[in-house]
Amino acid sequence: MKHISPTQVAAESPVRAPTRRALAKQQTRQKVLAAARRLFAEQGYEGATIRDIAAAAGMSTGAVFANFTDKSDLFREIMTADCEALLDAMREAAGKGRNVEEALLKVFMAGYGFYKSRLPLARAAFGVSWSPDGGPTLRGLGPVQGMSELFAEQLNLAVERGELRQEAEVKLRSQMLFDAYLSNYVQAIFEGWSLEALQARARDQIRILLAGARRG
Amino acid sequence: MKADADNGSERTPARRSQKEATRQRVLAAARELFDTHGYQGTTIREIARHAGVAVGSVFTTFASKGEILSEVMQSRLDRLYGELDRVMPHLRGSTADRLRTMFAIHFNFEAPNVRLFLSHIAAAYDWTLPPTARPYGRTPRLQEIILECLDKGVHQGDVRPEARLQDIVDLLMSAYAWTYRLVVTEGADAKRLTEVMDRQIGLIAEGFQPR
Repeated sequence: MKHISPTQVAAESPVRAPTRRALAKQQTRQKVLAAARRLFAEQGYEGATIRDIAAAAGMSTGAVFANFTDKSDLFREIMTADCEALLDAMREAAGKGRNVEEALLKVFMAGYGFYKSRLPLARAAFGVSWSPDGGPTLRGLGPVQGMSELFAEQLNLAVERGELRQEAEVKLRSQMLFDAYLSNYVQAIFEGWSLEALQARARDQIRILLAGARRG
Repeated sequence: MKADADNGSERTPARRSQKEATRQRVLAAARELFDTHGYQGTTIREIARHAGVAVGSVFTTFASKGEILSEVMQSRLDRLYGELDRVMPHLRGSTADRLRTMFAIHFNFEAPNVRLFLSHIAAAYDWTLPPTARPYGRTPRLQEIILECLDKGVHQGDVRPEARLQDIVDLLMSAYAWTYRLVVTEGADAKRLTEVMDRQIGLIAEGFQPR
């Protein structure tokens, strides 16, 4: 059998110039995003400057601005990517619950597990979410809306299955569950709560918030 | 009489030290700016300019922006809690209704300067915040007030005795804070905030009532 070396493969499949340029641009973007992610996590949204991000990525501020309009653009891109991945994890987790309480708990825990290794970034995101300009943008991100809808879906499914009453006030209840989910990040971020402690608390919250919607 | 050397428009009483006067000016300026531009949109430099003092003298009095906000909120909250201390013992009715009244007082108090309150929440996530600062969630007084309210409910029989009260306190605290997101997303006023909170309290109450 004849072995083909990687260089031969490269030589035999010609790469066209535009593709290479696109690839280089893509690599530059990835480098900037990685640097920005690190700096937002280390210094917070306010503390991280485009200048620092550029320096950390080993490029000029001009090169950063050629790829992103401003700092909020960078932050939005990072959060969108994270929240899309998280939403997928939450959907998968929800599917594993045998009843509504379990499904919701698994959704909560998918989030805490996902952010366990990146709590400083979560902290930066919460800071932004309470600012007058950043807040609406962050909350309006597609995958963030998707999470909110996921909570509502779980309640609707439970109504269909007969676990919850028809008049379960799904909209308000799911919003409150989502808010409770978010509020626990304070304990995770500032008090270093373990996943077990978060789970115990989340279970209590879910039980309280579902109590009025239970049948019988 | 000695003319004020740095700022002709404001004369400081002879006894009050220059430092205390600066401090009060900084707090007043900060309060206004946080309420207009939010926490992230306000810089120490702007606070200094607005107060008519040097940036350096702000830093000799306060360690950080978070500490300034913390002081601003503390003096406001003292007034709010004073009012609650007067009102709460006289409230009658179900635990849910007493909680509703208590939170309605909060919304009415915060609504005129609601961005200040949003700043207060945002500051909890600030990197430069000193451990001594008390952003939202680290003010123990509100927790105590809610707990007293629930305790009374246990005695009057509309809160399950075996309910974990601290969990309910935390849920109410987070519902209260997150209700303010409606100010960011839809420009809600005190009436709207109170209405949404009332419904949330009703829903939480279903979870703590005896079954």
